[in-house]
Amino acid sequence: MTEIDDRIAEIVSLVLLLDKDEISDDLKRKDYEPWDSMAHLLLISEVESRFNIFFDDDEVVDIWTIGDLKKVLASKL
Amino acid sequence: MGDNDKAISDLLETVRENPSYLGYWSVFKKIERLEIPPPEDETQLIRVAVIGSSTLEPVAACLDVMIRLEGLHPQTFIGGFNTFRQEALDPMSPFRQLDPDVVVLAVDAWSLLDQLFLSSFPRMNDKERKSSQKEIVKAVSAVAKELEKSTSALVLVNNFIVPVFSPLGVADSKQQLGIRDFFADANRALAEEFRTSNRVHVVDLDSTAAAFGKDRVVNWNTMYRGSIPFSEEFTPVVAEGYLRYIRAIRGLAKKCIVLDLDNTLWGGIIGEDGMEGIKLGNTSPGIEYVDFQRVLLSLYNRGIILAVNSKNNFEDAIKVLREHPYQVLREEHFAALRINWQNKPTNLIELAEEINIGLDSIVFIDDSPVEREQVRQTLPEVLVVDLPENPRLYRQTLENLDVFDVLSLTKEDMARGEMYVGKRKRAELERDAGSLDDFLKTLDLKVLIQPVSDFDTPRVVQLIGKTNQFNLTTRRYTDAQVQQFRDSEDSTVYSMAVTDKFGDEGVVGVAIVKANNGDRIIDSFLMSCRVIGRSVETAFLARIIADARAAGASRVIGEYIPTKKNPPASDLYERHGFGMPTTDEAGVTSWILNLDEQTVEIPEWIEVREE
Repeated sequence: MTEIDDRIAEIVSLVLLLDKDEISDDLKRKDYEPWDSMAHLLLISEVESRFNIFFDDDEVVDIWTIGDLKKVLASKL
Repeated sequence: MGDNDKAISDLLETVRENPSYLGYWSVFKKIERLEIPPPEDETQLIRVAVIGSSTLEPVAACLDVMIRLEGLHPQTFIGGFNTFRQEALDPMSPFRQLDPDVVVLAVDAWSLLDQLFLSSFPRMNDKERKSSQKEIVKAVSAVAKELEKSTSALVLVNNFIVPVFSPLGVADSKQQLGIRDFFADANRALAEEFRTSNRVHVVDLDSTAAAFGKDRVVNWNTMYRGSIPFSEEFTPVVAEGYLRYIRAIRGLAKKCIVLDLDNTLWGGIIGEDGMEGIKLGNTSPGIEYVDFQRVLLSLYNRGIILAVNSKNNFEDAIKVLREHPYQVLREEHFAALRINWQNKPTNLIELAEEINIGLDSIVFIDDSPVEREQVRQTLPEVLVVDLPENPRLYRQTLENLDVFDVLSLTKEDMARGEMYVGKRKRAELERDAGSLDDFLKTLDLKVLIQPVSDFDTPRVVQLIGKTNQFNLTTRRYTDAQVQQFRDSEDSTVYSMAVTDKFGDEGVVGVAIVKANNGDRIIDSFLMSCRVIGRSVETAFLARIIADARAAGASRVIGEYIPTKKNPPASDLYERHGFGMPTTDEAGVTSWILNLDEQTVEIPEWIEVREE
């Protein structure tokens, strides 16, 4: 796991109430009930503050999986 | 149930170690998923509603978890986005159905103002500005008043954050009503509106925001995406502000500061450096200690008890308190002193006994990390302050503690320090007197027992909220509930004031007596620990029993609910001749006194005053 993956895992585990080893890149927003709109908002803003970047609204809407989140983040670092 | 308790305490431990916004949120959500039933112990339950003009889940989540960290069991209701009016006004709304103990009303000024307000402000005339200002004050105060009227909750109303930006620039303050005055005056009007209310409290969010840094109050990303009013860092700070009120109503506020001397009240070590060598004066080094003491004195003057716990030769240290020209706190400011070579936890236990307060009401301030650690490990109930190494930061550390709150200050608070001097003198007299009876006879005790007056009601509510030790049932009633007891024909709320030759203690006792056919049930009976040991409780019971007899009752039933802190009260009914105790499922023990057979007399050394 890279350092970035690790930091993401930390945030995801707190916001989505998962142990770090339960997190996979295919975890889907649609299929996982705690990932509601409020959790999505917190997840995004926490990643923004932790990595000192910001997402456009289009990007926020299009993040459907943890993999998506990592991909968009990678494009900004 | 046991599994849940364990799960919750593990979760709380994680947030205690890492009190971050996300930590609070995560623990809140995880506890929510456990779907815990309400606690068996009703007194632990607190129903909190957070309503307002924006997305308030985050601040409510922080508050919920902070309440749990205080050992209470919150049930938190979170209002919908900008639906606070409907929630407050509709008696059928889920919020009103919850019957909350505490309501937070968080309304953002900008949600009340016209969308063009900021743009138009420079060209608005004074009259237009004034009328907008009136509107926003009224919009908030009308809802708060409705909540005061239709619920029994404590209502916490945010004031408005005075903006830093003004389109008028530096000329803002030259206007009759600039934009900053617009909000600052609105805040004054809001505070004025509820100055005399016992239940609506205006929370000074503006000061909290200013202390935090107004530029960092909002995270614009989450504000625009989700109308979240406060940034991740500021949200827990706001919740802390509400928590202060909850500590105050639930008897969790601290009452006493126990202080070390060397390198805490002055710089250096008196036993080594001597009177001339210690740092205490009107220039640095020395002035920082004087300033720290001045803040302590300000707390003393509003009712916080001070005491000393120092490893020193008594003569060396007391000389500073008595004679040093720059010493601010003198011997008479301390309710009790332990200046000796005993270990600090032992001294703390003795101080708590002498002053008659619980260890969990004590804050301990000592510059030595070793002493602090020993106290922390031996007496986990004591709040041990992490004093910084740098004495110039002592004052700020004390000012930021925020653990001493009461909802209103009474004349008893203002005079508390002097009362403890009286207590010390009484203790001396007791040592000199031959027997306890002799001692009590020389005290000239006078009590005034009566159905509580309007004037004394705030003090009675305060006592109900904070008395832990001599409290038979520890039922924490709100102002509204006390009012209901007062208004009802079937119940009486008594207050008892005590004076003796050393001073006027003011109102120190409360009893709530309910009528149930031929029975008079003592629902609540409590006394400030200051007057324990003077038999005034006997005079109080005698009055309740005399009133019951006069009303034709046949029995007086005294209720008792044991807690960790009320053993001092456990034998009250037994030693006054009540018998046949029975305990119901809820743990309430009822002691019975048959009026045909028994009575309680007023002790001969107590004079009962009439008013």
